Amino acid sequence: MSEAAKEKWGMVIDLDACDGCQACVTACSLENNVAFAGEESVAYGHGMHWLRIQRYWEGEYPNITARYRPVMCQQCGAAPCEPVCPVFATYHSEAEQINVQVYNRCIGTRYCANNCPYEARTFNWFDFEWPEPLNAQLNPDVTVRRRGIMEKCTFCIQRIRRAEEDAKAEGREVADGEVQPACAQSCPTQAIVFGNLADPESKVSRLARSARAEKLLEDLGTEPKVIYLKGGSDRDR
Amino acid sequence: MTANIPAIPLGDAHHDAEAEYREEHLMLDPRPREEMNNMVLESMRDKSLSFWVTAGVLGMLVAVALFGAWGYMIANGMGVTGIRRPVFWGVFIANFVFWIGISHAGTFVSAILRVFKAEFRRPFTRAAELMTTFGLAAAGLYPLIHLGRTWRFYWMIPYPNQRWLWPNFHSPLVWDMIAITTYLLSSTMYLYLPLIPDLAMARDHSEGWAKKIYGWLAMGWRGTEAEFRHLNTAINIFAFAIIPVMFSVHTIVAWDFAVSKVVGWHSTVFGPYFVTGAILSGVSAVTMVLALIRGTMKNMKYFIRPEHFDALGKLVLIFSMSWGYFFFNDFNLEWYGGEAAGHAVMEYHTKGPLAWIWYGMLIANLIIPWATLWNKNVRRNPWAMFVIGFIINLGMYAERYMIVTFVLSRGRMPFDWGWYKPSLVELAISLGSIALFLFLYVVASRLIPLVPVWEVQEGQLAHTLRKIGRATVISVSELE
Amino acid sequence: MSEKSTHAHMAVFAKIDHIAEALERLREFGIQEKDMSVISGYPISDEMLGRPMVWSNVPKIAMGGFIGAFIISIALNWGTPLLYPIHVGGQPLLPVPPTIILTFEISMLGLMLSTFLGVLWESLFPSYGPKIYHPDVSHGKIGLVFTCPDDQCAAIHKALTEAGAEWVRQMEAKPL
Repeated sequence: MSEAAKEKWGMVIDLDACDGCQACVTACSLENNVAFAGEESVAYGHGMHWLRIQRYWEGEYPNITARYRPVMCQQCGAAPCEPVCPVFATYHSEAEQINVQVYNRCIGTRYCANNCPYEARTFNWFDFEWPEPLNAQLNPDVTVRRRGIMEKCTFCIQRIRRAEEDAKAEGREVADGEVQPACAQSCPTQAIVFGNLADPESKVSRLARSARAEKLLEDLGTEPKVIYLKGGSDRDR
Repeated sequence: MTANIPAIPLGDAHHDAEAEYREEHLMLDPRPREEMNNMVLESMRDKSLSFWVTAGVLGMLVAVALFGAWGYMIANGMGVTGIRRPVFWGVFIANFVFWIGISHAGTFVSAILRVFKAEFRRPFTRAAELMTTFGLAAAGLYPLIHLGRTWRFYWMIPYPNQRWLWPNFHSPLVWDMIAITTYLLSSTMYLYLPLIPDLAMARDHSEGWAKKIYGWLAMGWRGTEAEFRHLNTAINIFAFAIIPVMFSVHTIVAWDFAVSKVVGWHSTVFGPYFVTGAILSGVSAVTMVLALIRGTMKNMKYFIRPEHFDALGKLVLIFSMSWGYFFFNDFNLEWYGGEAAGHAVMEYHTKGPLAWIWYGMLIANLIIPWATLWNKNVRRNPWAMFVIGFIINLGMYAERYMIVTFVLSRGRMPFDWGWYKPSLVELAISLGSIALFLFLYVVASRLIPLVPVWEVQEGQLAHTLRKIGRATVISVSELE
Repeated sequence: MSEKSTHAHMAVFAKIDHIAEALERLREFGIQEKDMSVISGYPISDEMLGRPMVWSNVPKIAMGGFIGAFIISIALNWGTPLLYPIHVGGQPLLPVPPTIILTFEISMLGLMLSTFLGVLWESLFPSYGPKIYHPDVSHGKIGLVFTCPDDQCAAIHKALTEAGAEWVRQMEAKPL
């Protein structure tokens, strides 16, 4: 929509650098109070991860390679999940140019999850609990969701807001690299870079101009804000 | 005592032909009004032990299987169902589409056949309209049942509220809610209007409490010329107006799927494909209900005759063919020019672990009706029609089940493929909604006259036999 | 006509031909069309009885309901988003295709609701007050309700019986 917006948060993920270590998945869950469903439930399909590492095998044994692609909500500019929600629980935020989820509006039709081509959304199948002393780890900046509510990656909007408020208090703009979502912060190979795509000089904008840049299922016209840098391979496809 | 209906002019030498006609066609077999009133009232008042047992068992099933299991699910969360990523919709939505399909029976039979003056409709329009209203009652529960937070369902309703938030009119679910509300209200009114004269008839034949209640429901009906004029005008408006609403309701249900970005759902043929399927399953269900009514209720063998099953059987055959046409449209284009993601969906149908459901659907919806319904003797046999109707409804249910769950199992990204199996809770709720439909129907069949007596009388007034040359033929007059 | 004392009477017939004949007789006695009405268990058209057509306002009421609901629908679709603008999925704030769908549904609901209410309005339903009626009508007879001056009563009763009435008598309005 308004491309002239001051902020347009985006993310670049370098697939060459991703080694599938799952640190981002862990960090995301801790930052965002994502419930731990347990091994069996995750295998059943009741896992809650906002971020998952897709792993594809390429080639035939013994010339086999594992390819990894961390996939989270792509914060689409024209998100398929938004118009189908009957109660505006998910909509396009003009200020941050991302796709936001209002937990307290959600009534749990789960239509958004079906219509998301990235399968980025997770549903609270039960009231998950954080037994003592795990409740102490809960992040006070993030709502704890109850059963029957849809949730998804928010680009750690609580961190974006905090950086904006700090900057405003000090009378300056948010600096490049000041906002880091939990996944980017925890990535040991720094494969995930986050920043303002509206600023052409930001690191994320420069990386996004790479010849390796691609967007996931871009032909659907969803205008994703996550840009992948294609991985080369030993065999160079 | 003679009927107020002109008896069929009796020819001299053609008693045989006439007797045959009378036996075959209800419209040519007139009975005096009071006799017919008593036949209908007797079938309504006949509450045998088996009625109480049936109603009791169905009522228990509704309480335990439907509301019990639903309550358990509300208390614990949607996790007690078999719904799992990436299949976020399961049998609840399949049931929803199925019951909406059943609800097409009444409108189709009573409105379309009324508009086209198909006379055979007369004795069972009400039986079919009841299916619409109760089918919608069962269907309307599912959008509530399947919500993660059922207790917040009213947030979908457009009303000024403290949150300053109106519903999202972009959402097909809001279209759905409004379309179903429209259809439920209008089909209930369409059921009620032609019922008023029969309620007045029941009032005049009752005593005590029953008289009070029927009198209250009949609203003071006497049957003056003006009352009939207003009633008939309204019934005509309804018959014309409810047909596009019926088409739109199932089209919107189809659009719930078709407007999405999901491969296997995003299809332009879904609207008419769903409407045809709905009428196929609805008309088949009418034959089932008529066979049950005829088999279990008193005097119904007079009203529901083989000619009616014959006519409905032809409709079922036509709609089975139309369904096959739309199905092949959907299938062929994906097979020929579809992209890889579409082919994955298709292979899951035809070669996947659950492919037997797909082949079963083809057998039930196409092979069985095509192999049997061309035969007049099959069509005229109520219990054969019951079995065929049952098989077709199984096939149509399988179709909805696959559209919901198979398609969602095969998304665009193979890493996230999954599958689905309903849990016990979902099966209980599904069973409970069948019980709800039957319970409402069985109870209603003992509370209101199931046959529109005044419409049958009007039809019999319009039908006579006349001679052309040597032949005796049926002649129908336009009374309006 | 002067202020003569009149009473309601009811005659009951078995055949449409007889009642058409009886209506003629009543007219000969100078009874106005508005003072007679036919009640029956199934619809009998005006032409069969040779009576003036009854005008029904139900279609007009129905059209009124349609238009009202149409306006409500446009207000919902194109009004409420302006109160609290929320953008979804790159679609315009005031979308046309969903509006068409909802406007159709809501307008049809308005049409049918008002048709139904129109029947009640036009027939003055529900009315549980006393009325001239006899259950013989739902037993298959056709009733003829008329009011006539008391001095003509006997003559009219006789004429109607000749026309084929099964019975004719003065009736009191009673709750149905």
